[in-house]
Amino acid sequence: MLRITGGTIYDPANGINGEVRDLYIADGKFSSKFDAGRTIDATGMVIMPGGVDVHTHVAGGSINFGRARTPEDHRRTHAFIRSKTRRSGLGGMAPTTFATGYLYAGMGWTTVNEAAVPVLSARHTHEELNDIPIVDKSSLVLLANNEIILDLLEEGEDERAKQIMAWYIWAAKSYGVKAVNPGGVASWKYGNDSKHLTSKISGYDHITPGTIVTKYAKMIDELGIPHPLHLHCNNLGAPGNVETTLETMRHLEGSRAHFAHLQYHAYGGDDWGNMRSEAARLAEYFNAHTNMTTDAGAVLFGDTVTITADGPWQHLLYKLTGRKWGNLDVENETGCGIVPYTYRPSNLVNAVQWAVGLELLLLINDPWRVFLSTDHPNGACFWRYPEIIQLLMCADYRNECMANLPLNIKNKISLPEISREYTLYEIATITSAGPARSLGLKHKGNLGIGKDADLVIYHQDKDIARMFGHPRYVFKGGEIVIEEGDIRETPDGKEYLIQPFYEPDIDEFLRPRFEDRYCMSFENYPVEMERIEHAQIQKCTGDDAEDGDSQ
Amino acid sequence: MELKVIENATCTFCGCVCDDIELHADDVRIHQAKKACVLGKSWFLNHTAEKKYPDALIDGQPASLDEAIEVAANHLYEADMPLVYGMSNTTCEAQKECVAMADLLGALLDSHTSL
Amino acid sequence: MGGKVTCTLGEVKNRADFIVYWGGNPAECHPRHFTKYTLMQKSKFLPRGRKDRTVVLVDIRETKSAKAADHFLQVRPGKDFELLTILRALIKDQKVSEEQVAETGLSLEVLKDLIEKMKAAKFGVMFFGMGLSMTRGKHMNAAALLTLAAEMNAFTKFVAMPMRGHGNVTGADVIMRWQTGYPFGISLNRGYPRYNPGEFSTVDVLVRGDTDCAFIIGADPGATMPKPAIDHLAKVPTIVLDPHVTHTSRLSRVHITTAPAGIAAPGTGYRMDEVPMPLKPALQSPYPSDEEVVRRIRETIALRPDWMTNQPQMIEAQI
Repeated sequence: MLRITGGTIYDPANGINGEVRDLYIADGKFSSKFDAGRTIDATGMVIMPGGVDVHTHVAGGSINFGRARTPEDHRRTHAFIRSKTRRSGLGGMAPTTFATGYLYAGMGWTTVNEAAVPVLSARHTHEELNDIPIVDKSSLVLLANNEIILDLLEEGEDERAKQIMAWYIWAAKSYGVKAVNPGGVASWKYGNDSKHLTSKISGYDHITPGTIVTKYAKMIDELGIPHPLHLHCNNLGAPGNVETTLETMRHLEGSRAHFAHLQYHAYGGDDWGNMRSEAARLAEYFNAHTNMTTDAGAVLFGDTVTITADGPWQHLLYKLTGRKWGNLDVENETGCGIVPYTYRPSNLVNAVQWAVGLELLLLINDPWRVFLSTDHPNGACFWRYPEIIQLLMCADYRNECMANLPLNIKNKISLPEISREYTLYEIATITSAGPARSLGLKHKGNLGIGKDADLVIYHQDKDIARMFGHPRYVFKGGEIVIEEGDIRETPDGKEYLIQPFYEPDIDEFLRPRFEDRYCMSFENYPVEMERIEHAQIQKCTGDDAEDGDSQ
Repeated sequence: MELKVIENATCTFCGCVCDDIELHADDVRIHQAKKACVLGKSWFLNHTAEKKYPDALIDGQPASLDEAIEVAANHLYEADMPLVYGMSNTTCEAQKECVAMADLLGALLDSHTSL
Repeated sequence: MGGKVTCTLGEVKNRADFIVYWGGNPAECHPRHFTKYTLMQKSKFLPRGRKDRTVVLVDIRETKSAKAADHFLQVRPGKDFELLTILRALIKDQKVSEEQVAETGLSLEVLKDLIEKMKAAKFGVMFFGMGLSMTRGKHMNAAALLTLAAEMNAFTKFVAMPMRGHGNVTGADVIMRWQTGYPFGISLNRGYPRYNPGEFSTVDVLVRGDTDCAFIIGADPGATMPKPAIDHLAKVPTIVLDPHVTHTSRLSRVHITTAPAGIAAPGTGYRMDEVPMPLKPALQSPYPSDEEVVRRIRETIALRPDWMTNQPQMIEAQI
C-alpha cells in the first residue's frame, strides 16, 4: 500500500481542478483506504493521471522500416546504457522499442495506442509491443483499403463486410479500426490516388472514399467498438485540403469519429506558395459537431522521419524533397511510406503547419475532444510533447517563437490573434482524461477509486517544458517507475484488445477470397492469443460489463 | 503406425518461408513433406528426432548440457570482446535471446547479412 | 536519392505484370518462388497468369532460371553497377555513349527495348539475388537497383525486393532493428548499440583478430568464411549451437546440440518480404531449443558480477 499526500490534483475525469487531496494506492489501483505502507510527500507538487497517447507509431513494420532508413540519426541521438536489469536502447526520430518505453514513461505517459497495423504483419507489431516496457498498449488495424472488404461494399454486401471487419480485428488481436486515405491507398496500388470523397477508386466503379468513410463509421458503431472510426482523411498535406476534411466531417454527421492528426488536413490555398491555415474554419465546424474527437498532429521544427500508410502522399513528399524514400505495399490491405523530413521555421509551408497544429489545439474549445499528439514521428517525436505543452500554456513564449517565422506568413495564420493559455486542468484533459475516454479505456486517465494507479507528479516550475519533461515521480500500476529522472522499474505493460462478434461461418466465406488474394495460409494468418503478453480483452457495447478487465 | 499430419507447416530453409507444407511424421522422422520443393523436402526429411549427437561437446568430448552451458557462459563472461554471430537457421524467439545476451555481454552482434 | 520501394509477395502475385530477376537463380535456389509468388499465379488483375506477365532474367550466365524467362540479358561479370546506372540514365532520356553500353556486354537496342517494356508495365518488380549484392560493387549494386526501381515510379508502379536466402536471416534483421536500431554489424561494448559494417561485421572482426570469444548460432562460418577468419575462430574459444555437429563445431571449444527450428522447435520466422510466419514443429526433439539454451547461458552470465558499473543511465548525445 502507498499514500501520496499534499499534492495538488488535476483529475478532469472526476472534475477535480487543482485541489489538495491525498491518494491511496493498493494492488495497482486507487483505493479509498490506507492502513500502512510508504508515504510520499507531494506537498507543493502537481499530480495528474498518466498520459495517454491516442495516436502514435511505435511498433511494427512501418516504424521498423523507418529505423532501417535512418541509421545516421541513431548515431547522434541519446543512448540508454544497459544495466543489469534494463536493456539498452536508442532514442531519436524512431526510437528502439525499449527506449520507447523509457522515453514515454520518462515524461509521465503510461498508455500508448499504436495507430496503424497491417493485419498481415500484426504478429510483428505485437512482438514489438511486447518489447516496449512500462506503458500499456493498444493497436488499430488498417482496413479502409482492404480489397476484400471494398469488394463486398462494391457488391452491396454491407452486412458481410461488417462481419469481415470484426473477423480482421480479432485476427489481428487489435483494439479498433484505422482508416488511412480511404480508397486512396487502394488506388496507389495502381500508382494513383483518390483525393476527394467523390474520387474514383482504381479498380472500383460503385464506391468512393465517401462510401468507405460513411459505411465504416456505421459498421464500427454497430459492432460496438469502444473507440470510434480512427480516420486519416483523404488528401493529407495538400494545400486546399480543408474542403476534403469538411466534406468528410459532413459525411460523418450522426456517427462517432476520431479525426487523426487534424493539422495535416486544415490547409487553404491551392498551391505551396499560397498555402494558408484554415484551422479557424475547421475548428468552428468541429466545435459545433460533438460527434467527433481529434488529435492535433502538431508539428515542431527539427528533424524527423515521416511514416504513414498513405503511400501516394509519401511518393509526393519524396518527389518534393528528393530525400530517401521507403515504400512497402502490403497485399490486399494497405501500404506504407517512409521519408525523412526536416521542418524549418524559415520554410513558409512548415511555418504554416507549425501554426496550424497549435491553432487547432487553441481554437477547439472543448479539451475533451482535442488531444495532444504529433502523429509521432511525423510532426515531431513524441518525447517533445513538453515543448508543445509550453506553447499551449504560455502565450508569451508562443509570440517569441512566432518572431522566427518568415515575414510573409502574415495573413496565412491566425495564431498571432489567439491569446488563450491552457490551464493545468486542460492539459490533464488533452493529454490523459480525454484520450482515455475516446479510446474507451475507462480505468485510464482517471484518479478515481478502483482505477489503474497510473499517475505523474511534477514539480511546480515556471519553465513549463522542463516541468513536463522531468516529472518528480511516475507511477505505473501503483509502482514507482520513474523517480527524479531515474528509471526505477521496467514492468511489462498490458495490451488491450477487443473481440467483436461475428458469425462463425465467416471463416468459410472468407477462405476462398483470402486464398485468392494472399500468399500465406489462411490458418496461419490470425495472430495466436498466446503471442499477446498480458492481454486484456475489453468489452464492446452490447456486452454489459462496466470494465472489461477479464483474463 | 499412424502418421501424424501437420497442415500448413512452415519451411524455413530459404527466404520464401512457404507456410503451406503438409508434413506426415511419426515420433522420429518426417516421412512426407507435401507441397515442399526439392530443397524443402530434403530439409524436412533430413532432420530427425533421433539422438544422433551427444547433448554437447566440450573440447571435442561428449558432455552434459548443464556442463556445456556453464563452460559457455564462463568463456563469454571472461571475454573482453565476445562476438555473437549467425542467427539464420533459428527462430525469432532464439534471436531475441541472442540480442539480450549480447546486450548483457557488451558483445559484437552480427548476422549472415554482413557477409 | 532513391530508397527502398518494395511490397509483400502477395502484391507481386496479384499485380506484377513485369518481373525482373537480377543476379539470382530462383529455379534452383528458391524453387517455389515462380509458382507460389510470381510467374505462375493467376489473379483478379492477371487472370491468365503466366501469359499476362513478362519475365526478364539478368545474370552473368544462362542458369536454369533463364528457361522460365521471356528475355535473358547476359551482363558481363562485374558490370551490374554500370548496367543499372545506364538504365537509370536511359529511363530519363539522358545520353549514354555506345562504348559505355558495350562495356556491359549488351546493346543499346536491347536496353531501349527493356526500358520500353518497363515503362509499359502496370506493376513492375525487380528481385535481386546474391549474384548482384555479393559480387564486385556489393551494396553499391543493390543501392543502384533499388534507386532504379524508385525512379521508375515517375513512370509507373515499380518495386524491388532482395531474394533473401538462409532461412530466417530476415527475422534477425527485423529484430535487431527494433531492439538496437540497426540490422547487423553492431557493437554493444559501450553499453548501447553502435553500427559500423566493416568494423563490427564478423568477417572483418575475425580477420583482424578482434574478438576473444565467438558464439555461433544457426550458421556454419567454419564452412563458408575465408581461411583467416576460420583460423581465428579455431584460436579463440568458440561456442556453437546447432542441430548438427558442423564444421564450426569441430573447431569449437563448446558445441551444444539443439532442436532444429521449425521442425522440432516452435516459434516465428520472417519471410524475405518481412512477413512473420508461425513455425509449427512436427517432431519432438531430444534436444532443447536454441531459445532455451541461449536463455540459460544468459541467465548463468547474469548471476556473475556486472563488469560494467557506474555508468550513467543515458548519454544525451553520442560522440
